[in-house]
Amino acid sequence: MTDHANLERGYRRLLASYPRAFRREHGEEILAVLMASAQEGQRRRGLAASADLIRSGLWMRLRPSLPRSAPTVRAAVRLMYAGAVVTALSLIVAIVSLPYVGRSGATLRLAGRSQPLPLAITVGIVSGVVMIALWLWMARAISRGRNWARLLSTVLVGLATLHLFGNKGAVPVVFAVLMWLVGLAVVWLLWRPTSRAFFKPQGLTQVGHGA
Amino acid sequence: MILTALASGSQHGYGIITDVQEISDGRVRLRPGTLYTALDRLCADELIRVDREEIVEGRLRRYYRLTPAGTKRLSAEAARLQADATAALTRLNLAGGMAT
Repeated sequence: MTDHANLERGYRRLLASYPRAFRREHGEEILAVLMASAQEGQRRRGLAASADLIRSGLWMRLRPSLPRSAPTVRAAVRLMYAGAVVTALSLIVAIVSLPYVGRSGATLRLAGRSQPLPLAITVGIVSGVVMIALWLWMARAISRGRNWARLLSTVLVGLATLHLFGNKGAVPVVFAVLMWLVGLAVVWLLWRPTSRAFFKPQGLTQVGHGA
Repeated sequence: MILTALASGSQHGYGIITDVQEISDGRVRLRPGTLYTALDRLCADELIRVDREEIVEGRLRRYYRLTPAGTKRLSAEAARLQADATAALTRLNLAGGMAT
């Protein structure tokens, strides 16, 4: 009996990876299925079931909850997540290829350095993180039908066009161009007629099915 | 495959998992996380809806069933698969016939 209770507690903890609204609606139901799937006498959470639970929970938090009637907005939101990934990659590549961070490894040494980082590098890292945050923020706001986010992301892509000319070296330029192209595609998708219908009605009905 | 599991009547989550396993001859084992992501999507697309809820041994069971749109989608999908399979078999037979 205590094994059972422990198992349940363990699974309940993993359900925290889901958004709260979804957990409130489906938490008990999922838990019932997890417990029904558990083998007799099982004391620990199944590895595959646990991994699947965490993955699904995170996906629920990140995925665009958009109706099929707005395929262009769905595509735009997916592209924005891809943009965040590309930005993160470019940041990692930039950090790893810093001249004084040894080839053997180590970004850790960077953190452990006693002397402060050169200002340009700090600014570069901070702006990279800000860019990732912007991609994610815009993706979330747009998937909720916020028209201001559509306008703001268009302005941001415009600014990124200026940023294109500020890069030196082949790799940063390739990443900058890639991100800019992703941004351009996002803007194009967001202003398509099918997207316009999604942003037009300012009210509760536009993201209809989220719950 | 979830739609197929619901084709003959309403089912609850665990029922869908065991049914899908049966339909697929044991090849597909849905995990609860994946199942509920899919159910949420199908509900959002109005292909399925909640039929009823029961409490069994203190646990919530929610039964799902196909909506008319879900039935239509499933039969369209089944017809498409059947057409693909027929085309494949016809061509294989043709090829077999030529080889002999």
